[in-house]
Amino acid sequence: MKHFLIYIAKILVLIILIAVVLDGLYTVIFMQSENRGKIETVFNSEAQKYDVIILGSSRANNHFVSQMFEDKGLKTFNYGMSGGHLFEASLLLKLMMERKYDIKNVILETDLNLSNQHEAEGIAAKFLPYIHNSTTIKDHFSSQENFNELYYIPFYRYIKYESKIGIRETFFTAVHKKTNALNNLGYYPLVKNKNGNMKNNIANLNPLPHNKYYEEIKNLCKINNINFIPVMTPMCENVTGMNYFDKVKKAYPEIYNYENVVIENKYFSSCGHMTDAGAKIFTAKILKDFFNK
Amino acid sequence: MFFNSIAFAIFLPIVFFLYWFVFNKSKSTQNALLIVASYYFYSCWDWRFLFLLVFSTFLDYYTGIQIEKSNSERSRKFWFWLSILVNLGFLGVFKYYNFFAGSFSDLLNSVGLKASPILLNVILPVGISFYTFHGLSYVIDIYYKRIKAEYNFVDYSLFVSYFPLLVAGPIERATHLLPQVKVKREFDFEKAKQGVFQIIWGLVKKVVIADTCAIYANAIFDNYSSMNSFSLILGAIYFAFQIYGDFSGYSDIALGVSKLFGLDLLRNFNYPYFSRDIAEFWRRWHISLSSWFRDYLYIPLGGSKGGIWMKIRNTFIIFVVSGFWHGANWTYIVWGFINAMYFLPLLLSNSNRNNIEDIQLRFNFDSVKVIISIFSTFLITCVAWVFFRAKTITDAVSYLKRIVINGDFNFQYLDNERYNYELLLMIGVFVLVEWNNRTKIEPLSGSKSMFKVALALLAIIAFGTFSDYKEFIYFQF
Repeated sequence: MKHFLIYIAKILVLIILIAVVLDGLYTVIFMQSENRGKIETVFNSEAQKYDVIILGSSRANNHFVSQMFEDKGLKTFNYGMSGGHLFEASLLLKLMMERKYDIKNVILETDLNLSNQHEAEGIAAKFLPYIHNSTTIKDHFSSQENFNELYYIPFYRYIKYESKIGIRETFFTAVHKKTNALNNLGYYPLVKNKNGNMKNNIANLNPLPHNKYYEEIKNLCKINNINFIPVMTPMCENVTGMNYFDKVKKAYPEIYNYENVVIENKYFSSCGHMTDAGAKIFTAKILKDFFNK
Repeated sequence: MFFNSIAFAIFLPIVFFLYWFVFNKSKSTQNALLIVASYYFYSCWDWRFLFLLVFSTFLDYYTGIQIEKSNSERSRKFWFWLSILVNLGFLGVFKYYNFFAGSFSDLLNSVGLKASPILLNVILPVGISFYTFHGLSYVIDIYYKRIKAEYNFVDYSLFVSYFPLLVAGPIERATHLLPQVKVKREFDFEKAKQGVFQIIWGLVKKVVIADTCAIYANAIFDNYSSMNSFSLILGAIYFAFQIYGDFSGYSDIALGVSKLFGLDLLRNFNYPYFSRDIAEFWRRWHISLSSWFRDYLYIPLGGSKGGIWMKIRNTFIIFVVSGFWHGANWTYIVWGFINAMYFLPLLLSNSNRNNIEDIQLRFNFDSVKVIISIFSTFLITCVAWVFFRAKTITDAVSYLKRIVINGDFNFQYLDNERYNYELLLMIGVFVLVEWNNRTKIEPLSGSKSMFKVALALLAIIAFGTFSDYKEFIYFQF
């Protein structure tokens, strides 16, 4: 039995050793990442200068045509992330500030995402390779339930979110395989999708009265003298529970309601996501209203 | 509590410690602990079905004794059939009732008669097909006087409910496991080490091979109508490795865990994809089930005695029943039928036992023939797996039809944002490792075992699929 216990101890040591080595190796590779996604690019970047940056979920990513801002002389990048929540938007802005980005305007798509304060695991995972290299990231995650496991157990974060930061992503990062996340200045245009879901039920959604991460973004902008433009973006015609947007307006009077700027289904790829044509109409309206362009 | 879960990683060392350090005084204390641990393990799925397990155990224990004690043949038959009918009754109600009721209703509707059957809203108790077959084999063996009835209820309960085999086999025989639980187990370092090797290799098969293949196989099967020929072929291959890695991985872990407690379980897989014909495949795939059907169905039906038609009939019966055992769906029945069809030429040409000896490859024409026969057996197996995996027979036929008519063999980007060919290298490496170790139970033992263990652990940690957590496929059977 003694031999067996020693043998098991050796295997446990081997597991820990492998985990530590892999953790270090993966982290080093992710520290070189610069063309895979928006989070990695911001983390590994130096000071940038922008007239406008756009934050939010896919409803930012697919709705704000960065090139239209550029055409009007505004240096712009769309940092909206499909599937992202305000948790990630806030952290991304914090990282930009940490890297001394000079930003004049932040447009935040904030409507449906006000209804929760959770992290979007698939997106938040992309910050985790850097958790030991950034106190900003560490502090941001410190309130999460599984923070201790993620921070202290070597390689645990890479195993838990292996579909996002596992071997496949590490390999592509190592060989500098480019993704399309940074194309079109971060804007991702959608086409008309004949199978797209053109009905949406948001009747059960309620905006949280003081969304922690919304408030964080707002305060960051205030501290850094950034003009903060929070907007609600369009939804298609067949939405049940449209009074959600009124509830948002009531809880957050400063958020601009652009939900009904584009309503016709022909401008939507799915109920919450406009096509490129719809996005252009919407962006033109934003440019006119906020930048007088 | 899955074998590849954190909960099991905590459960196993606790039971191991108690077994060898606290309850190691006698075989009774060892068995008592394993029974408690097994019932706890089972109750982690759904404690309510524990009553079913205990009832089934008690039924077979009691009827086994009654069969042995009976003085008259009539009484023996009574207890025998009582056990058979109640066991099959449980399976029928929980697993097959809705299928039969639904199929009967469909049949009536198809001839214009309206029927709306009463369906049962019950979930399938995990492991019912496995522990029912344990009990059945025990009672049948007593009835045919191959074994004596077990009078110690704890020992018998352990035979039925032993946690490593409880939910997905291997399907044990009383002649094999019961004698082992009747004696006190002494710790054997080499056996325990062998168990650790099997556990680690089982995890490689499950989390590296099966769960990774599942991501690609699911993306292809779920969207087969938009896949090209190349993707569809790969989908079938990925599923073949998914189900092999999943089930044989489970079996390896079960056998390995059991060895930690000093108990040997029946081997369930013997590198089935290196089979040279379908008969050999079935001697190497899910061995405990195949041999169960051979001993308790094929032979009682007359086996190969009674002429060629009897042989054919019996072969079709065991394959179709075996298919149906896997699940209450026509796709499984067709899968069994297809395998019987594959078997038929071997049966008719009396060559179903041609490939008994080990595979030896040399630089000669015979070896080329062996390689071709291995590939062709794998190919036809993949065709049958399409029926096993598809939701309906129509889906399976459309899937296979599309492979032929689509004719596009380009790389394809799947819905899950991965290329269809990405796993081929990993599968190639896996096949090579298994091929080079095909004479051993697992590839980690032997010289430089610590180095091989390190590589296996590295593979599990770095290449395993964990985020898209999947249970073992055979739990649903």
